[in-house]
Amino acid sequence: MSKFRKKDDNKKAPGVNTSSLPDIVFMLLFFFMVATTSKEVDPTVVVNSPNGAYTTDLTPFKQRSEVDFLYLGKPLNKARAEAMGGAYALSLDNVVVPNADGLYTTNAVKQWKLDKFNNKPSSMKQNIEVVITCIKADEKAPTGMIFDIRKELQDIDAVSVAYAVKDRGNI
Amino acid sequence: MAKREVPEINAGSMADIAFLLLIFFLVTTTMDKDQAFLRLIPKKVENPPPPPEVFERNICEIRANSNNQLLFRGKMLSNPDDISEGIIEFYRFNQKGNDLSSNFPMYTWAEGPQIETELGKVEAEIERMESTPDQSQEILDYQYLALADWQNKYNAFKLYGKDKLPEVDLAAHVRIEVQKKTSYELFTKIHTEVQEAIRTLRNEEAKKLWNTSYDIISKKVDSDPKDMISKDQLELLKILYNIRIIEVTPKI
Repeated sequence: MSKFRKKDDNKKAPGVNTSSLPDIVFMLLFFFMVATTSKEVDPTVVVNSPNGAYTTDLTPFKQRSEVDFLYLGKPLNKARAEAMGGAYALSLDNVVVPNADGLYTTNAVKQWKLDKFNNKPSSMKQNIEVVITCIKADEKAPTGMIFDIRKELQDIDAVSVAYAVKDRGNI
Repeated sequence: MAKREVPEINAGSMADIAFLLLIFFLVTTTMDKDQAFLRLIPKKVENPPPPPEVFERNICEIRANSNNQLLFRGKMLSNPDDISEGIIEFYRFNQKGNDLSSNFPMYTWAEGPQIETELGKVEAEIERMESTPDQSQEILDYQYLALADWQNKYNAFKLYGKDKLPEVDLAAHVRIEVQKKTSYELFTKIHTEVQEAIRTLRNEEAKKLWNTSYDIISKKVDSDPKDMISKDQLELLKILYNIRIIEVTPKI
């Protein structure tokens, strides 16, 4: 049994080598950096989404970049909002010929959607009927404008429309 | 000269730095999901034909005016939460047996042999068409669609395991009529209620049939498109509670 005899009883336990700890943490860091998305553009209108429930989650089966978002609300710029007399405007991203103030009427939707569709690399291109257009509207926005947008989209056969809400979860 | 040992740099605090970065990213990124009601709008039609006449009993009409007041099948509603119960009643009322005097959509009960005959008819028709030359592709495509429809129904019938498959009148639908000034909030509230009704109806059926829920089944289908069992179950639920939504474009 001499093999198992402790050689030196007052020797301390060796310290754990922590030099690979930063690697682990960096790995976590990179995971979060890659997996999370940040807002692509800051909308130029104020959008306070209404509450809803039992919605479809657009994220799991669609990449966020595959969904086109448009925002409907009052202008963020207070002076501009007052000048427009409390009217609602649209905020669109990546418009080919952008306005100075970044506010659009519903007439611009058709061209915007077509440009977005045509500028996609051919490997990512899907049928326009399945490319979702997500409307993020303010809770006080008039529904008439939603239908105006819908009509514009209908003209170019972009028939997948989503109405965004804040989900209250399963109540 | 004596060889001096290079002192090792203490890397113990490296982890702290990385943690700091990690926590910074955790706090600043948003994990909010994009929640929305996904709807298909009808395609554009040049010179649309006049709308067919629909019996009042087949319309589950929800109207909202510019003052955000609600009308459900002609009755004022003070509480929008009652819409879903109304829709559930609309689809359930005649499911066990038709009451001709009621103002709710009628049901038909398809039986096994009947579905098989129809399926056979369409198959024969397609065979005949394929053998005849100069057949227009459009009509052939239409027949293929019909065939897929009947096959779906046949699968659903077998999965249902009873001798009759209840089906609501094809014309039955939920009609959402708003005015131009109705707020988006109320509009989405109506959609929430419609969605709740669909979910409740299908959930209860799924519980009865397989002791699972519609949510679980649809999640399974989403995550694994090859899961044929869940796909068939979902198809059956959709045939049993075929809820169509029509959103009317506001004129005023």
